[in-house]
Amino acid sequence: MTVRRRNNVVEHGPPDAQPMLFAHGFGCDQHMWRHVWPAFADTYRVVLFDHVGAGGSDLGAYDRRRYDSLKGYADDVLEICGELRLERVVFVGHSVSSMIGVLAAAAEPERFERLVLVGPSPRYVDDEGYTGGFSREDIEGLLESLESNYLGWSSAMAPVIAGNPERPELGEELTNSFCRTDPEIAAQFARVTFLSDNREDLPRVRTRALVMQCANDAIAPEPVGRFVHARLPHSELALLEATGHCPNLSHPEETVATIKAFLAT
Amino acid sequence: MTGDDAPLEDTAEDLFEHAPCGYVSTRMDGTIVKVNRTFEQWTGWRREDLVGARRLQDVLAPGGRIYYDTHIAPLLMMQQEVRGIAVEVLRADGGRAPALISSVVRADADGRPRVIRTSVFDASDRRRYEQELLRARRHEQEIAQELQRSLLAGELPADDALELEVAYRPAVRGLDVGGDWYDAFWLREGERVALVVGDVVGRGIGAAAAMGQLRSASRALAATVAGPGPLLEALDEYARRHRVGRMTTLVCAELDLRTRELRYACAGHPPPVALDPRAEPELLWEGRSLPLDAHHAVIRPRAEGERRLAAGSAVALYTDGLVERRRRTLDEGFDRLLLELDRRREEPLERIAAGLMRTLADPDDADDVCLLLARLR
Repeated sequence: MTVRRRNNVVEHGPPDAQPMLFAHGFGCDQHMWRHVWPAFADTYRVVLFDHVGAGGSDLGAYDRRRYDSLKGYADDVLEICGELRLERVVFVGHSVSSMIGVLAAAAEPERFERLVLVGPSPRYVDDEGYTGGFSREDIEGLLESLESNYLGWSSAMAPVIAGNPERPELGEELTNSFCRTDPEIAAQFARVTFLSDNREDLPRVRTRALVMQCANDAIAPEPVGRFVHARLPHSELALLEATGHCPNLSHPEETVATIKAFLAT
Repeated sequence: MTGDDAPLEDTAEDLFEHAPCGYVSTRMDGTIVKVNRTFEQWTGWRREDLVGARRLQDVLAPGGRIYYDTHIAPLLMMQQEVRGIAVEVLRADGGRAPALISSVVRADADGRPRVIRTSVFDASDRRRYEQELLRARRHEQEIAQELQRSLLAGELPADDALELEVAYRPAVRGLDVGGDWYDAFWLREGERVALVVGDVVGRGIGAAAAMGQLRSASRALAATVAGPGPLLEALDEYARRHRVGRMTTLVCAELDLRTRELRYACAGHPPPVALDPRAEPELLWEGRSLPLDAHHAVIRPRAEGERRLAAGSAVALYTDGLVERRRRTLDEGFDRLLLELDRRREEPLERIAAGLMRTLADPDDADDVCLLLARLR
């Protein structure tokens, strides 16, 4: 089993260029970057992948112990870097993958040149003197949502080829990737994502980082983004006009422009 | 339309306002721009509380709110449609209303997505029904587990010359119990002990019941026959005549505490391992035959193997869950088992059992795993 196959690694752009590694967040797969990565494929070696358990990854490689903490996912990122011989990596992580990138960069600082963190949160559950935005009961509610939507999942996400009649394979691609979310894996990933606490890992990062904060992001509210910026030693904060938690989908132009501006400095 | 139907059904407004489901239109970020009367009546919200003031996510229970932002919203942006998602709508009075929602994205003339139209169906009855089904399923699962526990209960033989240890891990995933069992009982108190580990095909209450029958049958029949081979023949006959436990695999062994002689027979079952404290562990590959009632016929005679164990030796009987793992060949599974046993051969049985279960049993596997260790003292 190669790491490429395990994590469904997909590459674009010149293979000898500086690598840009895109990591998707909880709930979806690498398609989350579909409107963003093409803007970098001229000048970067774009590397996309699915976390094990998501999208086109090898579900057989899922190991409850390995993926019982974000460290297992960070180890996967490092293994991808190792197998593809990626150096001076620009790591772009959405949502929970921001913290996965933080853990990877803290473990192997020499591997990474920049971190781009889109909607990061080092802890989702409120704590004394810290507002993450969620209570434990909220997370239990999410697990119930995942459970009650397990049966409907495959039929619910029917392929929609509307708007892409010339590319029927797109619908197929989406159906397959989104339906392959194994409910038990999703539940464990939800627990690991929303119950982890990586606040102490932030100061360990030596890599230059960009914190991209959306307006009205219910998953990672602005005070959380400011917290990440304050604790990450070499970080900049970009407040986006984009609203919600997925600017990579809802506001790709602003997302691309913000990342490009950061990489140009 | 003609006659009396015309005035009502001709107005699109009435069709919208009094549709048999709630309608909510939102901007792409979820901000509500329009709701219909049905939604108002059903949730107790007035449109002035919602329109321009709240997002659809804000009137979902917290779990659904996260689900919306991590699943529904991205899906809508990627495939312009979601269907039949279960959520709970927060009513104005704080109550929760189970609902099924479906949404489509509408784009403007330039193809830019502008608005999300969501229909909201009352799913209270459906959700209750689903919960009843789930409860019934869990109840059945509990019965099966209880049945299995009670069937595996009972004391194991204890003796100064013999140490026994068992480990049993029910299937981790899925709801059903499997049909693995272990057993150890005296053939002659203090002298000869019978050791059995088996695996009934199938899952659930049926498999647990079949396991109980075969376990009892093996105890009863062992007293009437001479050795593991004849015991398998008798069980074969039993399985065929009573139509129970067809294709069950098992290993029967008989250990003489005075002579240290081990006789064993495997019906389609993984081989026992002999664990000599001063030598490498060894798979015992003799005495092999087909699973019970494999061809709707009694196999006679059933092959038997024999081995004189060294003093202080142990023997390990187990089910396939310990050596079979996805993405690994059976040979690799056996190699790992031998390696682990080798590393641990001087440890107390309790620690060997716990260690084997921890390192070899696949935490993700749907199969149950059963292990029986017996050591001469």
